[in-house]
Amino acid sequence: MGYLFDPQNWEWLTTGNNLRFLLEGFLVNLQIAAIAIVFSLIFGLLLALARLARLRPLSIATGVWIDIWRNLPLIFIILYLALALPAPWKDFYESNVPGFFPEALQSGRVFAGILALVLYNSAVIAEIMRAGILSLDRGQREAAASLGLTYPQQLRYVILPQGLRRMVPATVSQLITLNKDTTLVSIIAIQEVMRHGRILTSGFEVFTGGGVEAPLLQVFIFIGALFVVTNYTLSRLSRRLEIRERKRTGGTAGPVIGLEDQTALAVETR
Amino acid sequence: MAELWEVLSEHFPEFSTGFWVTVRLVAISFVIAMIVGTAVAALRIAPLKPLNWIGGLYVELFRNTPLLVLLFISFAGLRRAGLAVDAWVAGPASLGLYTAAYVAEALRSGVFAVGKGQIDAALSLGLDYPRTMRYVILPQAFRTVIPHLGSLIIAMIKNSAIVGVSLLALPDLLHQARLVNSRTFATHEAFFWAAAGYLVLTLLATVAVRRLEARYAIHR
Repeated sequence: MGYLFDPQNWEWLTTGNNLRFLLEGFLVNLQIAAIAIVFSLIFGLLLALARLARLRPLSIATGVWIDIWRNLPLIFIILYLALALPAPWKDFYESNVPGFFPEALQSGRVFAGILALVLYNSAVIAEIMRAGILSLDRGQREAAASLGLTYPQQLRYVILPQGLRRMVPATVSQLITLNKDTTLVSIIAIQEVMRHGRILTSGFEVFTGGGVEAPLLQVFIFIGALFVVTNYTLSRLSRRLEIRERKRTGGTAGPVIGLEDQTALAVETR
Repeated sequence: MAELWEVLSEHFPEFSTGFWVTVRLVAISFVIAMIVGTAVAALRIAPLKPLNWIGGLYVELFRNTPLLVLLFISFAGLRRAGLAVDAWVAGPASLGLYTAAYVAEALRSGVFAVGKGQIDAALSLGLDYPRTMRYVILPQAFRTVIPHLGSLIIAMIKNSAIVGVSLLALPDLLHQARLVNSRTFATHEAFFWAAAGYLVLTLLATVAVRRLEARYAIHR
């Protein structure tokens, strides 16, 4: 304990540009997370719809696809894609990546990392969304159909707004997991916060801009704190939005699936 | 196709070691997660504010920190600080303590599902708080959350791969697949067999949980 809180061991935080260096790394994580979140939500919804399609072969094939990707370790997918992704794909990414992206995101390896995050998370999110849609009462769909709405209209105006709203808490907790999982791309040598932390503690002064060498324990506790603050803020924000939304829509939640949702409800009804 | 079988038969010992290291890692971590998770859940629902607060702090800290960061802290961090921790201690401890936060949340939701009437009944029968917990609430809470615990075990199987690629370098399934890959350059084959190993484990866990659920679960 004495070692942990010894001011001398926290001196690195204020010397040189150590703090800035770590935050720059953390920004790369947040950017990777943001890109992966957008694509995971889009593909997750498409997969959920394909899974629920009335066309049997499509539904079965999508089910197999989802079950394979969500049951493999994410780090496995990242490593495999980094090794096995065809070079032309990486070249395509490198020559088309927007110029305003930071240097750490310019490499073709980043494409492998983001693709792995999207493959895994879109499969998980597809299952969450499917559960949300299936939890709706059949009557909703039948009423919409008997009002003469076409299938796309039923989805757009009746099923998706209710089904997806119900799954917001479960989706948010998956997105928080995604945010944590961005640290895994450090394994394929993408320069994000974990890599920056290791550089700070490696003792090479060239990187630290003349600061003191940073103790490993404190640096990684600090990195952990960055994630805790970000993720905690995210989950509070979504909880508040959800409670407001529930008040607005009358608070009839129906059957809920997903841990976050259950606890949220339990807390509310306590 | 022929090469697929060749890689497996020639490197079976490596894959086999990896498979059992993963199984052992998950088993030890699961025991830790259940014990710590139950304790934290008990803190969170205890009738004393400071205890609730400590339980809540545990959950928020461990649930929001990346597992890779926990592994760095518990292995390399403590080592640099002069406390040499074995990889087989740091690995299961990190994975176990990380998952314990989720176990605690699952159990807490299970406890809320038990219902206030049961607690009032137990207390009015003269049971004290620990006994009410032990004989009335927790047995039912565990049975309600069997499906949740099942998905946590599957998450654990997947997260255990992070331990193998981190600094700890425990020879788990993914670690061994990378080893075979570096020796043979048969990337697709080596990763195929590791994927098969992980899918078998997650499938077995799914089936086992479904059995338990059919036998014990309480549908509310």
